[in-house]
Amino acid sequence: MRNTYLWFVQLVTGVLIAVLLSIHMVLMHLDAILGFFGINVNDPTSWHSMIQRSNQAIWASLYIALLVVVLYHALNGLRNIILELTPSVRTERIVTWAIIVFGIIVFVWSSYVPIALLSA
Amino acid sequence: MEKHETELITFKVQRYDPEKDNEPHFREFTVPSSRGMTVLDGLIYIKENLDSRLAFRTSCRMAICGSCGMLINNYPHLACHTQIEEFRSNTLTIKPLPNLPIIKDLVVDLIPFFDTHKAIKPYILRHDAEEMENPTTEFAQSPQALETLLQFTYCVKCGICISACPTSASDKLFVGPQALAQCYRYCADTRDEGEQERFPIVDTDHGVWHCHLAGACSEACPKGLDPALAIQLLKRRVVSRAIRLGRKQQPSSKVPPPTQTKPKVPFPEFTVKGAK
Repeated sequence: MRNTYLWFVQLVTGVLIAVLLSIHMVLMHLDAILGFFGINVNDPTSWHSMIQRSNQAIWASLYIALLVVVLYHALNGLRNIILELTPSVRTERIVTWAIIVFGIIVFVWSSYVPIALLSA
Repeated sequence: MEKHETELITFKVQRYDPEKDNEPHFREFTVPSSRGMTVLDGLIYIKENLDSRLAFRTSCRMAICGSCGMLINNYPHLACHTQIEEFRSNTLTIKPLPNLPIIKDLVVDLIPFFDTHKAIKPYILRHDAEEMENPTTEFAQSPQALETLLQFTYCVKCGICISACPTSASDKLFVGPQALAQCYRYCADTRDEGEQERFPIVDTDHGVWHCHLAGACSEACPKGLDPALAIQLLKRRVVSRAIRLGRKQQPSSKVPPPTQTKPKVPFPEFTVKGAK
C-alpha cells in the first residue's frame, strides 16, 4: 500500500506544480499583461520586489508550498529511476534514506530565507 | 493450379551453446522460400536439411501455444505467425527473445516468466473455499462484465510483451506486462474476490508503478491484446481501493445450476500400460 500512496502523491504534486508554477511564471514573465488588467507587480524580478513579496505571508507560503511539491515530485521520480537501474533490496533502503535526508536538507536550506524574512 | 516462385532467403540465426561457446555468434543458412511460408517453416527446413543441432521451441504452428516467440529482424514475433515475405528482404536476422536468459540458440528460459505469472495467482479466488471445491450454484456473469476483461483472457504466455518492454530491459525485478495484465484480468472478474491477495504482489517498487507507459507490449503482442491498458486500469483499481474512492465492483450473482445437465465425460483410460 505504501507504493500506492507514493504514486498517488506523485500524481497530486504533479497537478499542484502545474498550478503553482503557472502562478510563478505569470508573475515573473507576464507583468506587462498583468499591468494591462490593472495589476501592478512593480518589476517582479528586482531584489526589492522579491523581498517585499517574501514579507507577505501569502506569497511566502505559496513559494514554500511550491518548494515542497517540487522537491517531492523530483526526488521521488529520481528514486524510481535509481531503483529501476539498480534493483536490489539493500540499494532500495540506502537510496530511500539518502533521498529523504537530501530532501530535508534542501528544504531547510531553501525555506530559511522566506521564513527568516517573515519572522523578522 | 498456380505455381509459386521459389526465392532463396538467407537466415542469419544467432547460435549459442553455453557448454561450448563463450558468447553468441551468427550462422547463415540459405532457405528456399515460397509464398505463404512462415519463418518457423524456414527454421524447420534448416533443422531437417541443413543443421539438426539448431535449437528452437515450437509446438502448435498456429499462434495458440506461444512457444515460438523470437526476435525476427530486431522485432519480437511468433515465428509461426510471421510470413517470410512480410519483411520484403532477402535476409532475415533471427535472435532469441531479449530480457530472458538464453538456454541454447533460440530457446530462452521461461521459468522466471512463469514463476511471476504464478505469483499473481492467475485463477478465481473466493472467500468461500468450500463452495469453490464443491459448488452448489453457478456464478452468473453478464456479457458486459465479461467484455471488460475478455481480451486479456487471450494471452498465450509467449513472453513477447516482456521482451518488447523497455522497463523489463532495465529492471530485472519488474513484474512485467504479462503478469500485470493477468492480475487485472482476474481482479476485474466479477466472480473473483482475490484483490487483497494480489495487490501486495503488484504494489511494490518493481510492480505496477514502474510501468513507463511506453506501450511496446501492446504494439508487439501477437494476439492483439493491450497489456498497457490493463496496467493503467490496474493502477486505477489499486489507487481507488487505497483511497476508498470509485465504484465498487458488483459481484456476480449466484444462480442455481440447470436442472438437466449432461453427465461428465469419463476420463479416458491410459493407453500406456503402467502410466498413472
